[in-house]
Parts: sequence; C-alpha cells; structure tokens
Amino acid sequence: MARFFLKVLFFYFREYKLNLSGFHDILTNILFFFISIFIFIFSFGPEKETLSILSIGILWTLLLLSSTLSLRKFYQEDFDNGNLILMHLNGFSYELISILKTISHFIFVQIPFLISIPIASLLLDITYDKLVLLLISFLIGSLILSCLGSISASMNLLNNRNYLLGSVIVIIFSVPAVIFSVGLINSNENYDSLINILFGILLIVFAINPWASGACLKLALQNN
Amino acid sequence: MKFLVNPNKFNNIADVLLKPLFIISIILLILGLLFSFYLSPDDYQQGSTVRIMYVHVPSAWLALLTYVIMTLYSIVGLAFKIPFGFIVNTAVAPVGAIFTLICIISGSLWGKPMWGTWWVWDARLTSVAILFIVYLIIIFMNLSFENRFVREKVVAIFVLVGSVNLPIVKFSVDWWNTLHQPATISKLSKPNIDPSMMMPLIIMTFAFMMIGMTIAILRIKTEIISRKSNLN
Repeated sequence: MARFFLKVLFFYFREYKLNLSGFHDILTNILFFFISIFIFIFSFGPEKETLSILSIGILWTLLLLSSTLSLRKFYQEDFDNGNLILMHLNGFSYELISILKTISHFIFVQIPFLISIPIASLLLDITYDKLVLLLISFLIGSLILSCLGSISASMNLLNNRNYLLGSVIVIIFSVPAVIFSVGLINSNENYDSLINILFGILLIVFAINPWASGACLKLALQNN
Repeated sequence: MKFLVNPNKFNNIADVLLKPLFIISIILLILGLLFSFYLSPDDYQQGSTVRIMYVHVPSAWLALLTYVIMTLYSIVGLAFKIPFGFIVNTAVAPVGAIFTLICIISGSLWGKPMWGTWWVWDARLTSVAILFIVYLIIIFMNLSFENRFVREKVVAIFVLVGSVNLPIVKFSVDWWNTLHQPATISKLSKPNIDPSMMMPLIIMTFAFMMIGMTIAILRIKTEIISRKSNLN
C-alpha cells in the first residue's frame, strides 16, 4: 500500500515538473480567455446595463472554450512519447490512470482559471455576491469539464484526421452543467437545490469517466 | 432469432425481406398521406396545420427508436464482442439523423403558425437538437479514424455515453414546464386523441418504420459487403 501511494506521489511530482516547464501553455490559455473578453466588450459596447445582463454568460462560455483548447495536452503527449504504456506496465490500471490524469488536469489547468476569474470579474463589473456563486459553480463545473475532457481526449487518441471533434464532444456534453451553473448564479433563492443538481451531474460524470476513458485508452494502446 | 446478430443469416433474411418491405412501405406511405391530407378532419383550433402532426410525431418516435437500437447494439458489440453490433451502429446512424432532421424541420414549420416563432429554447426542443448533434458527431467519428477496429469500438462507447440524453428527450415535457405539449399517446392512459386522427397517425408511423427499415437493411448489407471486401 505504501508503495502504491509513493507511486501516486511520484506521478503527481512528474506532472508538476512537466506542467511547470510548460507553464507558458497554460498562460497562453488564460491569455486567450482575457483577449476574448476584450473582443466581447469591443463588439457590444462597454455600457453597464448590457454588461450586467451578459457578463455571466460570457464568462462561462469563454471558460468552457478555453478549457477545451488544452484537450490535446491531456493524454496525447504521454501517448506519443510512450509514457502511458510505461505507467500501465508499472502497475497502474487504465482506469486509475484516467482518474489520476483527470485530477491532475483539474489542478494544473483549471485552478489557474479559478484564480483568474476574480480579475476577469473586475473587468466585467460583476458584484461580490455573484462572484462567490460564480466561483462555487466553476469549482464544481471545472471538475465536470475535466472528466468530460478525459473522455473525449482518450476517444480521440488515434484520430489523426479530425482534431476538432474532441472539443465538440466536450461542448455538447457540458450543456447541462452550463445551464445549471448559469441558473445558479442568476437565481436569487434556492441555491441549495441547484448546487445539489450540479453535484449530481459531477458524480454521474465522475462515475462514467474511468470506464469510458479506461476502455478507450486500452483500445488506443493495444492498436497503436 | 440468430439473424439479429449473425451477418450471414441477416443477409439471407434481408434478401427475402427487402422487396416486400419496399412495396409495403410505398403502399403504406401513399395510404397514410391520403388519409392525412384528405380523409382526416381539421382540428377545431389548429385548422389544417394539424396535418403536420402526421409527419412530425412518427419521425420523432423513430429518431428515438433508432438511438435505442444503436444503444442496444453497442452493448451487444462491446459486451459480447459481436462485430455485427458495430456494423448496425455504423449503418443506422445517418437514418436516425435524417429522422431527427425531419422532426426538427416539420416542428419548426408547425411552430410558426401555432406559437408564432420558428424556434423556442424550451427543454424538449433543445434536447432534440442535442440528439441531432450527437447523431452528427457519430457520423463524423465514423469518417475520421483510420483504424477500423478502434473506430467502431470508440463509436460504440460514444453511443453509450450519449444515451444519457434519451430519457431527457422523453421526459423533458413532464419534468419541466415547456411550451411543447406533453405526450398525447402514452401506454399508461387512454389516448386522448380522436380515432379519426389516430388512424392516419398509426398508418404513417408504420410507413415511416418500414421506410427506415428498408434503408437500414440496404445500408447494413452495403456495410457487410464493404467489410467482406476489406475496404477500409
């Protein structure tokens, strides 16, 4: 058991090293997020009334889009240089690899977005109450996005012809998460029930994720 | 019942069934269109636009039924390692996509005179649109992998994941307060539709079913032949 936890610890140490050396990738994602906010504001004008209606929707859309940009980092690099097969040979099952990778994606890609949301909310003139709800909803929603990203990235490992398909899969399955998150932020009461629904979606996706991405990883590694 | 999972037996039965199915579907379609255009009454509120129902409702049912069939066959293919499931999956997806498209287009043509708008963002319409996009993604996935053995299994997994949408489509009118009306015909209660309107609806449903089956059988036969000759 101790050896197992040591292995998991080394796995995260390796992820940390890799993400630190490639941190400009994640910073580019966040740059994309901020520049898209600028483009939105230039395109419909900086009046406060329109901003107060549209800001939550813009933020959620851009968070979704910019977190799908980093999908190819999910498994593809480790798959190409053979690290995935080494992990599996060292006693990690495919399902465990997908769970560990999902949590690592959440820590190293989604947490920087979580930190940059308050700065973006200054630009978009979001009040403090709504900011707290936005952070709660994104904390749950980004885990949902990570699980969906794991599923679609593992599906498209051997897909050499159509790179965009992975992003489309994530976007189409994240529709309920976006609906209930924006509903949570814009509602004035019964926060609890909406947070419960979001948690329910998270649990469903978290349960599906290991099976689906484990099967896809196995397929890709066996047929490469 | 072995023809449901065995390509050779399916081929034998399909050769026998194809022509009768084709003829029956043409006869049923002509009969159903006759009934729905001339021999059924106008609605007292909707007038003549109620006739759109005879195309809209059967295509919606068949769009759902096709996805259910695909889900069952992907379970068969993945769990029991029967390749015929993947053949059916590949062949049937465009049929379902076309039925969904017919449903969406006829629905928006019906919505314009009745609701005053082509499209509203209520739960039923949105979930059907998502169903259509899921069908499109399945078709694109079938076109985009180089290795066939990987492709068919990945598509089957995607179909299983996407089947989460099915109960949402079916029960969206009961769970949420939608502009789209709840189901008129259900198994648990007596249908509250007049027999003179029920008749063409049933005939059109069977006609659509037969047309869908004919096209699906043709496509499955083509798929079997292309796999036997090892094309792609």
